[in-house]
Amino acid sequence: MDLLQRFALGEIDAFETLVRQFQGEIYAWIVRIVRDRGIAEDLTVETLWRIYRAHQQFRPDGNFAAWARRIATNLALDHLRRKRPEQSLLVEPAGAPQPDRLLQQETREKIRQAFRRLPAKLQVAATLALVEEQPYDEIADALGTSVGAVKLRVFRAVRILRKQLNRLGVRPGVEGHD
Amino acid sequence: MNEQEDRQIREALKQSFPPISTELGRDLWPAVLRKLDTRPVRVPWYDWALIGFSASVFLVSPQLVLVFAYHL
Repeated sequence: MDLLQRFALGEIDAFETLVRQFQGEIYAWIVRIVRDRGIAEDLTVETLWRIYRAHQQFRPDGNFAAWARRIATNLALDHLRRKRPEQSLLVEPAGAPQPDRLLQQETREKIRQAFRRLPAKLQVAATLALVEEQPYDEIADALGTSVGAVKLRVFRAVRILRKQLNRLGVRPGVEGHD
Repeated sequence: MNEQEDRQIREALKQSFPPISTELGRDLWPAVLRKLDTRPVRVPWYDWALIGFSASVFLVSPQLVLVFAYHL
């Protein structure tokens, strides 16, 4: 009997082997979304626990990594939904000229804040596609949707972000590049 | 113009979120095992039935609360 069949039957030894094989991959996927190592570790443990609890639902001929990634993505999404942005968006009028470096940092901070205010589903799609540059088909699989739907979410995220940044008077193209 | 702005926003996003290490620093199996060992506290169905029955008795005859309290 192969490993996945034994796991589907609930054998703890088979599950341990799968944990050791896939924990790094699951963690990497989660940390890309939540961007916090501690939270990503907690969510990885939670994901693995849920995977074991759902072992009867797993089809041994299925793709374990993709199944695990979907569970992980759902947990990361829940985390983003629960988490409120730590700081409110400050609308500041254009003030006195500031040093370039400081201006760059402020601009980036405003972009991060605006990004965290996006709906969780848009945030996840945009993070994975634009920041982490993950393949669209993998993102779609993890989100349980189509590639077209992921592209639409990314498009909507960028559009909302553009509007918010325009309202704040932030022009990303104007800041200097490192 | 919008297309150009979109490109700028995509670029700015990449710059605003620096790359994060995706290496897992420790083995999570012990933590998973601990979590698997801690079983959630479950109230059996007959306890819920008893609670429901007692509540309905007390609703019908509130004076029985005192009798019940005396025997506690």
